[in-house]
Amino acid sequence: MAPRSILKNSTVSTNGPPVERPVNQRHMETALHHANIIEQRKIVEQKVLENVIVLMDFPTSSDADPTRPSPADALLFRELMLPFQPSDYDALIEERNIAELCGYALCPRPRRKARTRAKKQFVMTDSGPEIVDKKLLEIWCSDDCAKRALYVKVQLNENPAWMRQDGYGDKVELMVENAAEHTLSLPIRLKKEAAPVDNSKSDEDEDAAAAWAARDDALADLAMERGEKPGRLTKANKDLISKTIRERVGHTAPVAPSLEDQISNAHMAIEGHIPRTSRPQDDDDDEDANEIDWDKHLPT
Amino acid sequence: MEDRGGHSPSMIRMWRVYRTAKEMCLDRGYDVSREDCDISLAEFAHKCQREDGDPERTRLHFSCQPSPAMLQKYAQLPTAKDPDPQPAIGTMWVEFNGDENVGLKQLRDYITHLGSGSFYSGIMICTKPMTGMGLKLLRSAPHIEEGPKGGVEVFVEQDLLVNITKHELVPKHVLLSQEEKKQLLQRYRLKETQLPRIQVTDPVAKYLGLRRGQVVKIIRKSETAGRYASYRWAI
Ligand SMILES: [Zn+2]
Repeated sequence: MAPRSILKNSTVSTNGPPVERPVNQRHMETALHHANIIEQRKIVEQKVLENVIVLMDFPTSSDADPTRPSPADALLFRELMLPFQPSDYDALIEERNIAELCGYALCPRPRRKARTRAKKQFVMTDSGPEIVDKKLLEIWCSDDCAKRALYVKVQLNENPAWMRQDGYGDKVELMVENAAEHTLSLPIRLKKEAAPVDNSKSDEDEDAAAAWAARDDALADLAMERGEKPGRLTKANKDLISKTIRERVGHTAPVAPSLEDQISNAHMAIEGHIPRTSRPQDDDDDEDANEIDWDKHLPT
Repeated sequence: MEDRGGHSPSMIRMWRVYRTAKEMCLDRGYDVSREDCDISLAEFAHKCQREDGDPERTRLHFSCQPSPAMLQKYAQLPTAKDPDPQPAIGTMWVEFNGDENVGLKQLRDYITHLGSGSFYSGIMICTKPMTGMGLKLLRSAPHIEEGPKGGVEVFVEQDLLVNITKHELVPKHVLLSQEEKKQLLQRYRLKETQLPRIQVTDPVAKYLGLRRGQVVKIIRKSETAGRYASYRWAI
């Protein structure tokens, strides 16, 4: 029997057209699933970028008060926060600081400037003098803003928005002095504000008023549609709330942890030890070192 | 060896960066004079030195026009829709940004400036890497309506301290025109996807300003074969 050529079988060119194979349904679905995740991720990242750009020029009025933001600003801010992760929030603060603004997006004031160019700075606190990093000192306009900004950050979802099971999740709560204005039925506020239609109504205020008016119209239309009398408070509301409470059940079966990570790093190991410089980026201590740890500095 | 007397380290550093930037434009095919690339340290300092001895970066910005050869290289293949297409290249604006931190703010200002000066593309050279959000905007820049057609590139001064393409181990990279690329693929009966790849983020690809879809010819010296060429498709 003639020896079989070793060449014939090895001529399967990687460059040639792929061999026709029946499509494996399961593989197809997996591929689609991953493609969708990548697509979702792109959309979310673009959205976060757009939101950061909006929030760089926030708040809308230059004499806004971070302790009492306007309802329109507060609502928009909370909506724009939806796709954010804490790291996106840090990025926003970084961008605002570059524009010389206080890191808290509802504050129009410039950020604090250290008195000297020294890397470490003396500051007087309630508990006496302290030495603080110049960088940390210059993030906010005041300790108060730092507190309010952190109050938002701790509420942000750690999971990237494209991996969240139930959409983007809930809006964040703000630390404000005028909480009532943000939670009470909003049209009432318009009447209060509409009374002194005098001196310095800025364009923004007018826009806000127009927005409220539009909202009222929409509510009125809705009330008509539901057969209510205009002007009366809606009674139909409670019928719209579903009383049946459903437990949220996980959709996917838990996946056993795989060894992939260790395997992919194996080639970097020197006698079993993987040197620090070769470890993947998502290592815990690396992350801590890179992040600006401004929360640690908060006044207690 | 040049006389370095009296010049601050930051001035010498900036001088190197500036020369590499000029060489980069020349190597890409823009009309840049050889003298500009070889500017002496004394002359450079005269051009941009501040009272404190440091360079004033705003005095270093320059624009450059594509040479006739470059226009040819960037000529587009005519299509039924566009039988006489314009070359995909134009005036470039090169800016040196001295800000300590560069983020969305500066990038947006820069893009607006490029649009108002009707530049085709731009290069911003910063002292430090740009913020993460800035890089994200940069990646999506080709899709920004008001942005320049040819996009925006960002370099860190550190990247241009030495001209990497002058290193003896870096083979010569030559960009193919659309026509040359078509002929190459026809001759070898290839699809472009079958070519080996080069990432547009590769240092040499960045130096040459390669765009996705372009093909470069890489010419290496070989002890046994004299010279040999390979081709890579930019992704
Ligand atoms: Zn503030």
